[in-house]
Amino acid sequence: MKKKTLIIGLGNTILSDDGAGILTAQEVEKQCRGLPDIDIVEASLGGIGLLDLMAGYKKVIIVDSIKTAEGQPGKIYRIGMEDLGNITYPCGPHFLDVRTAVELGNKFGYEMPDNIEIYAVEIKDNTTFSETLTPEVEKAIPVLVKQIIADQELMK
Amino acid sequence: MANKITINPVTRLEGHGKIDIFLNDNGDVADAYFQVTELRGFERFCIGRPAEEMPRIVPNICGVCPTPHNMASTKALDYIYGVAPTPTAKLVRKLQYNANFIEDHYIHFFFLAGPDFVVGPDADPAERNILGVINKVGLDIGKKVIEVRKKTREIIKLIASKPAHPEGGLPGGVPRGITEEERKTIRRTADLSVEFAQFAMQLFKDTVLKNKSYLDLVLSDAYNLKTSYMALVDDTKKVNFYEGKLRVIDPSGNETAFFHPNDYVDYIGEWVEPWTYIRLTHLKKLGWKGLVEGADTSLYRVGPLARYNVCDGMATPLAQKEYEQMVETLGKPSHHTLAYHWMRLIEALQAAEDLQIIADDPLLTSKNIRNMNFQFTGKGVGCVEACRGVLIHDYETDDNGLIKKVNLIVATQHNAAPIGLSVKKAAQAFIKGGEVKEGMLNMAEMAFRAYDPCLGCATHTLPGKMPLVVDIRDPEGNIIKTISR
Repeated sequence: MKKKTLIIGLGNTILSDDGAGILTAQEVEKQCRGLPDIDIVEASLGGIGLLDLMAGYKKVIIVDSIKTAEGQPGKIYRIGMEDLGNITYPCGPHFLDVRTAVELGNKFGYEMPDNIEIYAVEIKDNTTFSETLTPEVEKAIPVLVKQIIADQELMK
Repeated sequence: MANKITINPVTRLEGHGKIDIFLNDNGDVADAYFQVTELRGFERFCIGRPAEEMPRIVPNICGVCPTPHNMASTKALDYIYGVAPTPTAKLVRKLQYNANFIEDHYIHFFFLAGPDFVVGPDADPAERNILGVINKVGLDIGKKVIEVRKKTREIIKLIASKPAHPEGGLPGGVPRGITEEERKTIRRTADLSVEFAQFAMQLFKDTVLKNKSYLDLVLSDAYNLKTSYMALVDDTKKVNFYEGKLRVIDPSGNETAFFHPNDYVDYIGEWVEPWTYIRLTHLKKLGWKGLVEGADTSLYRVGPLARYNVCDGMATPLAQKEYEQMVETLGKPSHHTLAYHWMRLIEALQAAEDLQIIADDPLLTSKNIRNMNFQFTGKGVGCVEACRGVLIHDYETDDNGLIKKVNLIVATQHNAAPIGLSVKKAAQAFIKGGEVKEGMLNMAEMAFRAYDPCLGCATHTLPGKMPLVVDIRDPEGNIIKTISR
């Protein structure tokens, strides 16, 4: 029976700012450790791997990094499923979009989440191998952690 | 000055992977180049780290080929420590590796190739996706794909702790052995995989080979590219994903090289062109001859089609039977780029049969899983067939075993120049006089999709919409039209 919330930190911690989502999820976990009905996982995957992770949860919160054309590094976005657009031809089997993953899960009879929210932080560098974030993104992490905990009423 | 069309399939990571098609003044295709985003500083990142950390680091390079990177790295460690894995350790590694081939090949076929072949290359883009495939083949088959994937990934998880990014990998062995109870589960997964492989082969035959228009497409000149080929083969020159020697054949099918992967620098040249950061590989003894196909090319391809052309046969009986049918239909060598998909399914069958063979091997459950008789050398080359083709990891350490030099050659690097040429040929056939339509672009995209190029070096992407964006530029580079879906 669905009741838990899953927080997924997405990214790659050896590609500079690409690790922002994972680092945020780790910090949320530190502050919310022991809370019932919340699982927090780190994942360096997309596409169909997300289906495996999300199945069985009532609510899923994805924390990721984002790079937009005019974006200011460190800016925080809150995105709903309705903002993700239509299902498209994937550019690779590992790039299945989250909507397709949910629809597939529903078709297969899995218990897929009723509610999916995405938090993303605008990043500067995701092409240099490094375990260090750029300063703007590093500053944004505690802000994002605080926002997720408040928005989702995790400490209530 | 040429006009320029840009196909940019990924929006989140700018320039993550893209194809530039240049038109001439008549609006016909002049050239096409395949590029991926430059990831900087990997060697610097590795220098000074203990060599034994490498199998845990390298799966993070790429979200698409983590297991092959893990295995190539582990094999490089064998050489650095001068130690061969025990027979049981080799069986366990091959178990992990075959499981990877099965899950990866099916995800590619059903999610990436399926929309083109099962739903149709001219179908409505809204239908041309995995959901469209399931609508065609039925929900039960969709569930079966997911089940086979799940169970083969459980084998990877059992041996290497995490399927997405394996953490196992020890010189001379494996981190854990297999119990008799686990052997039974593995055998059941193997049987399921063989059964599904036979279904998938039949589906391919029914939907592609029995459909004249699809078969004509596969055999058309638009999807034909005459290059050399390189792949690993065993002592009897059968397909081997885990080990062997690298064999090269020329565009006419004659063997031109047969060498141990340790000697790769004598055979593989790396060339730098101003339009890409990728060091373009070529046959070193022939020298760099540019982006040309045919008898004079020094370009070679890797991956399923290369393995088909290079080998003298498959290593397992059912796969061999399917291979013989492919030879009967296409001959050898086959330069048909879309035949990559066919061989991919035959390989998944071989991997599944091999799982059965390994599951039945009495040695599998032996406790002798590690050879610790180290003879430190400080140098190691690990080579495997990744699903997408030859993968080479070359490391050098100091006397304390700390990394001081790293060189990786990945499948998409071998294939980068041929991918550009393949897209150029497909685009030439389907884009004329500057007229660019959605359906035509999909035909050009099909050329690069066949290679299953690795665009996933950042391991994930924000899970949202990734529309295809096409910019058509005038001779000054200004965008005069944008097409997207």
